[in-house]
Formats: sequence, C-alpha cells, structure tokens
Amino acid sequence: MKIIRKLALGFAVAAATHITYAADTGFDMQTVDPEADRIALQNYYKSRFPNTEFADYVNGIYSVDADSREQWVELEEFPPYEFDVEKGEELFNTAFANGKGYADCFENGGIGIRHKYPYWNKEEGTVKTLEQEINECRVKNGEEAFKWGKGPIAQVSAYMAWTSRDKVFDIQIPADDPRAKAAYLEGKKFFYSKRGQLNLSCANCHLQGSNIRIRADLPSPQLGHVTHFPVFRSKWGELGTLHRRYSGCHKDSRSNPLKPQAEEFRNLEYFQSYMSNGLVANGPGARK
Amino acid sequence: MNKGLIIAAVLALAPTFAAAESFKDAFEMNRAMYGKNHTFTWQGKQYTTMHEEEAEAAVKATKANAEALLAKAKAKNAEVAKLGYEWKLTRGILTNAQTAIDKGEYRKALNLAAQAKYHARMGIQQYHYAQANWYLAVPQ
Ligand code: HEC
Repeated sequence: MKIIRKLALGFAVAAATHITYAADTGFDMQTVDPEADRIALQNYYKSRFPNTEFADYVNGIYSVDADSREQWVELEEFPPYEFDVEKGEELFNTAFANGKGYADCFENGGIGIRHKYPYWNKEEGTVKTLEQEINECRVKNGEEAFKWGKGPIAQVSAYMAWTSRDKVFDIQIPADDPRAKAAYLEGKKFFYSKRGQLNLSCANCHLQGSNIRIRADLPSPQLGHVTHFPVFRSKWGELGTLHRRYSGCHKDSRSNPLKPQAEEFRNLEYFQSYMSNGLVANGPGARK
Repeated sequence: MNKGLIIAAVLALAPTFAAAESFKDAFEMNRAMYGKNHTFTWQGKQYTTMHEEEAEAAVKATKANAEALLAKAKAKNAEVAKLGYEWKLTRGILTNAQTAIDKGEYRKALNLAAQAKYHARMGIQQYHYAQANWYLAVPQ
C-alpha cells in the first residue's frame, strides 16, 4: 500500500511536468541572468493562471485556488498572528541587559526594513537573513541567541515585517561581487534539483505542481513564496519562520533536511526573494 | 527479500532515472517486471537484476561480514551527506543495523546495511543527475 501511494505521487508529479522547457541559458556563472529568470517566472505563471493578478501572488495558494481562499479570507478577519505581532513589538522594544536594543542594530531603527532582506553582505561574503541579524544583534549585546524556527525569533521578525507591510521587495545582486551571483545561482539550483527518496525538487511541487493536488495538499506557486513570512500556520498552531518551512518541505522529499539558516537555505531564500521582486511585503501571514 | 530494498528499487523508476542511460532503463524495467535474480540480455550480454547491495548482502551471516557491510554503508552515507543528498531514513537504518549486530542478528544486519548503502548510492546518483540536468526544469 505504501509503495502504491509513493508511486502514485511520483506519477502525479510526472504528469505535471509537461510544462517544462529545456533551458539553454541560466545554468552557470556566464549565462545566469536573475532578471531574465524573474521575468520568465512571471510569464510562466501568467500563462498558467491567466486570471491571477501579479500582485496577488503574495497570497500563496489562495491566489490560485478559489475554494480555500474563502476560508482564508474569513481567517484573516481575526488574524491568528495578531498576538504574535504584539508580543514581537514588546520584545523589540524591551532593552537588553546592557541598555541597548534591536533598534540600535538595524537601519532606520529596524522599522520598515523587512523587504530589504535577505541581502548580500560583501564583508562577510555571504547572504544575510533578517532572523540571522536579529540573533546577531542579541549576541553582540550579550544576550543569548534565540532558537531558530519559532517562538520569540519569529515574533520579533513578525513585528518587523508588520512595520514593513506594503513595501516593495527589491532584492539586489551586486554586480561588483561575483560571489553574490554565485549565491543566487546556488539557490536557484537548489530549488530545481530533485532529491530525497521521493526524488522531488521544490519545483516539482511549487512550479509544475502549483495548485495540483499532491496527496491531500495543493502546493502554492513559488512566485511570492517569501513575502508573508513569518507565517502562522494552522497546522503548527503557531508562528514559524521561513526556514522552518524550508526544513519541513525539504524533508517532504524524504531528504535528511538542512537546519534553519544553513548556507544552502540562505542562498535559496536569496533566489526566492529575488523572484518576488516587485511584490510587496505582507508578513506576517496566515496559512492552513 | 528485504522489503526496504523493494521499495527503493521501485522508487528508482521515478521520472529522473527514466532519462538516464539505457542500461539503467533495461535494468530497472526488468527489475520492476521480474523482480530480483532475473536474467536479461542487454546489447548481447547477459545480466541479472541484482542490485550491487543485494549481492553484497548475499554472504554468510557472520558478525565480521555484517560489520564489514555496515562500515561500507556508513562510508557511502558520509559521502552522500557531504554532497547534500542524504536521504531521510538512512541514519535510522544504519542505527538499526548496528543494533541487529549487537543482538547477534547478522542476517538482519546485513539486509539493513545493504538497504542503507543502496539509499546512499541512489542519493549520489541523484546528485550527479541534478548537477547535469537541474536547469532543464527552469522556465525560459
Ligand atoms: C511534495 C511536494 C512539496 C515539495 C517537494 C516541496 N514543497 Fe513546499 N509546500 C508543499 C505544500 C503542500 C505546502 C503547503 C501549501 C502551500 O504551498 O502553502 C508547501 C508550502 C511551502 C511554503 C509556504 C508557502 C506559503 O504560502 O506559506 C514554502 C515557502 C515552500 N513550501 C517552499 C518549498 C521549498 C523551498 C521546497 C524545496 C526545498 C519545497 N517547498 C518542496 C509541498 C511541497
């Protein structure tokens, strides 16, 4: 029975792969062109879901599945993340033991900057995420780092996202440091590579498989994937970060999942956020 | 026959592998249709539908043999982990193989070690396949 179910999954995904194209560019440092990738992805979705407005992709699966959208609109009337935003604000404004606070660590006192993450940090030669810098701020000021994934880190992140609502993502890949483009390329590659015992890529579910039933679930389009994080997921019954979701989805291919904030995940976030350029930050979000 | 191996063998038929070289296609098709220990002909030569690991597990069930295969499986899994393609269940299977050895259940240990090594080997293949083909799924 187990075998049959797995095979059925494999074939469902195989059936959905008819809408792929053979790429002749974009697979190495010479040919990769993030802006061309972004436009190609938008065009892909334009033809796939002609009735969905570009701006609506910030709403994940609800941008393409009318049935679940109704329930979600109801859910958003009393947003389940409200408490977390309040808690996050409180945490954000509580001084550390040394008298400093989060506002001292971030540009503009940490207000309205969510959409600038992740970004390429030339000095450190790596992609930096918001959660990473929240914890670095703590450690620098003599506090213990929060656990990644959920709880206070997600709450602080939620408050910071809340203050950034409607700001437009405009992730940069600086041309003066080829390592930035390499990080983007690594993220892109991660997204499209099949892995795990089920031999599935992120793209199998979130590109070809967008809004196609896979077991009991409808995967969302990858366009707009990152805009609303952190997210209150009914299934979790709590708020969680993007990398918590990445770990869960990575495991869904039956891979041994990476840990939140692993370099691979940060590169993946860099790629996915670049793909969401032009969309607004709308975190925190609510999902099933 | 070890159930885990059957599952893994069946899974190897998933879309990625269908595009691989034709000996693999012939092997997988024969394996799927006739199970293990079936003889088939490919380009004029005869082959059997045994996975490498099944042959390795088909030895006398002794402690030394079980330990040797487990060591090989662990090494393979370390190799695939380094490539970032470790499968989810493999470490647990390796632990169970060690437990079986500790209990003197060498046949069971051999089968588990074979299964883990198969997972790792498939993960390595997946990695190489992805390196060469990942971009084919990117919309242009
Ligand atoms: C087996 C199919 C499957 C695979 C493989 C998979 N996902 Fe998912 N993913 C889902 C489903 C189902 C959901 C929940 C419905 C949805 O998309 O919101 C989800 C949710 C998500 C979300 C949250 C979307 C939102 O609107 O809140 C993100 C982000 C995500 N996945 C990213 C990934 C990434 C990155 C990978 C590759 C590492 C991946 N997924 C692999 C099925 C999959």
